[in-house]
Amino acid sequence: MFLSFTATLTKAWSFFLILWLTSCLYVSGEYHEHETEVKDFFQRNGSSTHTNNWAVLVCSSRYWFNYRHMSNALGMYRTVKRLGIPDSNIILMLADDSACNSRNKFPASVYANAGRNLDLYGSNIEVDYRGYEVTVENFLRVLTGRLPESVPRSKRLLSDSNSNIFVYMTGHGGNEFLKFQDSEEVSAHDIADAFEQMWQGGRYNEIFFMIDTCQANTMYSKFYSPNILATGSSLEGENSYSYENDHDLGVSVIDSYTHYVLEFMENVNKTSRLTMGDLFTSYNVPKIASHPGIRSDLFPRPLGGGEALHDYGRGSGWRHPGEWVGREQEKSKKGSEALITDFFGGVVGVDIEEDTSDAHHTEASSDSVPKERTKAEKKGVKASPYLAQRTTKTRSWINLKELRAWSSFLIVGLLVGLVWARQS
Amino acid sequence: MSKRVVSAPHDLTTSSGFILPALVAARLALALLQPFDLTHDHHLSSPLTSYANLQEGIYLFKQDIDPYSGGIVRHSPLYLTLFTTILPNSRFSAALLWTLCDALGAYAMMNIYRARQGIKTSSRDGLVAAMYLLNPYLFLPSLALSTSSIENALVLLSIMFASQRKPSQTLLVYAFLLHVSLSSFLFLAPLLLLLISEPFSHLASPRAFSGDFKKLPPLLGEFAVCFISLTMASTLISGGFSWIGQTWGASLTLPDLTPNVGVWWYFFTEMFDHFRPFFLMVFSVHLLIYIAPICIKFQYDMLYAIFLLAGILGTFKAFPTLSDPGLFLSMISLFPETYPYLRYPIVTSLLHLHAALLLPLFHHLWLSQGTGNANFFYASTLVFACANGAAVIDCVWAGLRIAIGEEKEGIVIAQE
Repeated sequence: MFLSFTATLTKAWSFFLILWLTSCLYVSGEYHEHETEVKDFFQRNGSSTHTNNWAVLVCSSRYWFNYRHMSNALGMYRTVKRLGIPDSNIILMLADDSACNSRNKFPASVYANAGRNLDLYGSNIEVDYRGYEVTVENFLRVLTGRLPESVPRSKRLLSDSNSNIFVYMTGHGGNEFLKFQDSEEVSAHDIADAFEQMWQGGRYNEIFFMIDTCQANTMYSKFYSPNILATGSSLEGENSYSYENDHDLGVSVIDSYTHYVLEFMENVNKTSRLTMGDLFTSYNVPKIASHPGIRSDLFPRPLGGGEALHDYGRGSGWRHPGEWVGREQEKSKKGSEALITDFFGGVVGVDIEEDTSDAHHTEASSDSVPKERTKAEKKGVKASPYLAQRTTKTRSWINLKELRAWSSFLIVGLLVGLVWARQS
Repeated sequence: MSKRVVSAPHDLTTSSGFILPALVAARLALALLQPFDLTHDHHLSSPLTSYANLQEGIYLFKQDIDPYSGGIVRHSPLYLTLFTTILPNSRFSAALLWTLCDALGAYAMMNIYRARQGIKTSSRDGLVAAMYLLNPYLFLPSLALSTSSIENALVLLSIMFASQRKPSQTLLVYAFLLHVSLSSFLFLAPLLLLLISEPFSHLASPRAFSGDFKKLPPLLGEFAVCFISLTMASTLISGGFSWIGQTWGASLTLPDLTPNVGVWWYFFTEMFDHFRPFFLMVFSVHLLIYIAPICIKFQYDMLYAIFLLAGILGTFKAFPTLSDPGLFLSMISLFPETYPYLRYPIVTSLLHLHAALLLPLFHHLWLSQGTGNANFFYASTLVFACANGAAVIDCVWAGLRIAIGEEKEGIVIAQE
């Protein structure tokens, strides 16, 4: 009796062993499939693949007569906030406090135009680095993330490999340097190395670098990391000029390059599809009084801007040739164009493009919607193919979890049936 | 054999046949009416038995997410197996299912009583069934759809099959029970011993163990086969082995400190981390140390041993609900021969009444009204533990005292 019992035991054991092994295979296969789907979602070619936006706005000069540098930075801050980047994602560095300066006839306000129409200081701004905290060391530490543990989160650039970062710098500069606080300077090599450290550490997806100083274009000439788009206000050997004075304040209130950039930005809202190329083609050299430059050879996506961008730096209006490093590569670039909102806003403009036939089948009903839709709606429609694709994929062959549930129930039922049948 | 055969005060033979169906129908009506929502009550369900957590597990499973990757679902995957395949998953079907479990429990208790008395039907059947169905400690958690009612039904079914000498059924039902609640490990030894001995009452005439130990290994082997195949079924449906740590591991590591009517949770809220493993071990071993002494002492009446271990479990379990001591209290109805020998049944009943009033009161005062604190509720759980302890101790006393017999004139029974 004992021998027959062991025989039935081994038979039962082998059956269950096979069942268990197949279940392990199913389990491992399913896990792998999930991983590749998730990876695909985040690595699609040809569209901006950022998931969050950051901005680092630096005014590097102090003293009352550099009022305009602070209002440059604050103007950019206001625009960036208006277009959707929250305070938690903005690092604002102001080397001096012109709002509470004893020479300020309008205390607690900073204006960027001659009629003092818009107060940029207000009651809802968050300055992260103020006064003497704005140093070259702090700036480079913020970029690379190598800060001591005691530094609070609001003073950290907590970007990841899916972050698009807008870096804006203004102050007094020269050939490959920028002056900080009238006592030290940061060189173009330092910033280039900092960006490379960020790239190696996976701290950015794309960087848009804008600089408004004298001889600004030299500051971006040393970059060597991928996915950086840079623009500056003046060529090597050229000064950048301020825009206008306010007669009551007694100082220049804004720089002309920044003024025209901000004026262009007033036409941009969260859902607009204006491209970086549109921004660059809006540069008006006689008005700005200097020659802005572009560097796009490190940037993989096309800039947009249409035909007008082809004449950049060469057409009438350019007193002498403007600078565009990367002009030749522009024609051969593929993918979706770089939008203003990619750097200045949120992720509203990020497309989730599907190019598999499955999605077209499931999206057939939604293809017939009219073209005049807002960005958010479009994203909503386009987001659903991802889910639709997932469910179609799992339905096209056996639904795994149901199989597992029913086979598990089968084992249980088998046991109950066996015991019932024996009736011993 | 005790002289005092307990007989019913009046003839219940004609009416007892109707009691079970009538009570079940009343239970069903109450469940379908659902006058209050008791599902989230801390006394009636614990993190291991809560209906809300079960629904969470089923939902996560249906969304292709591993239910055991978080810390909410602590139900056995066998519940998932049943609820995602053949059993419908709605409040209405849950009311039916839980009523069915109660009915099964009452039916099992009736049959255990009949097997113990050795008769086919008896006049006390209805009373025994009513003791199970009318016990508020049992029907309230059942109305709250706490899976502890299912556990109780499984306990009683396995004891019924053991009393009726049906080893395969016993072991299968017990394997289910062990999967669903790890604390029922306490019942393994006495159930097996009951299978190889007999359920008749030998409390009044103790003797050495009457079963044949040679029959144990095949029973253990059959139990192992059932248990391991259920483990495989659980692994298959949950797609991994994480369920083991989340379900059985919960009783051993106490990850969830939600208040309940037991004594573990408060102790571990105020415990330093480096003492935690030690005290978890102490509390778990505390449950295990009762098995051997009770089984050895009551080796002539294993059914009584199971009854006492149910009482121990109800008092000292990791995540108890009211059903666990409720099971013990209802099972008293199976041992009428001990009633004359209980020393302080009134005190025990009053303690239970006291605890039953204090528990919801202090819980409300602490968590709803906010004028009390956790110590209030903890004190009421201590009173409840006191009541349960008093009941267990009194039953142990009665079980042993009955062997000595009635007191005679002029003779004093003293303990050396």
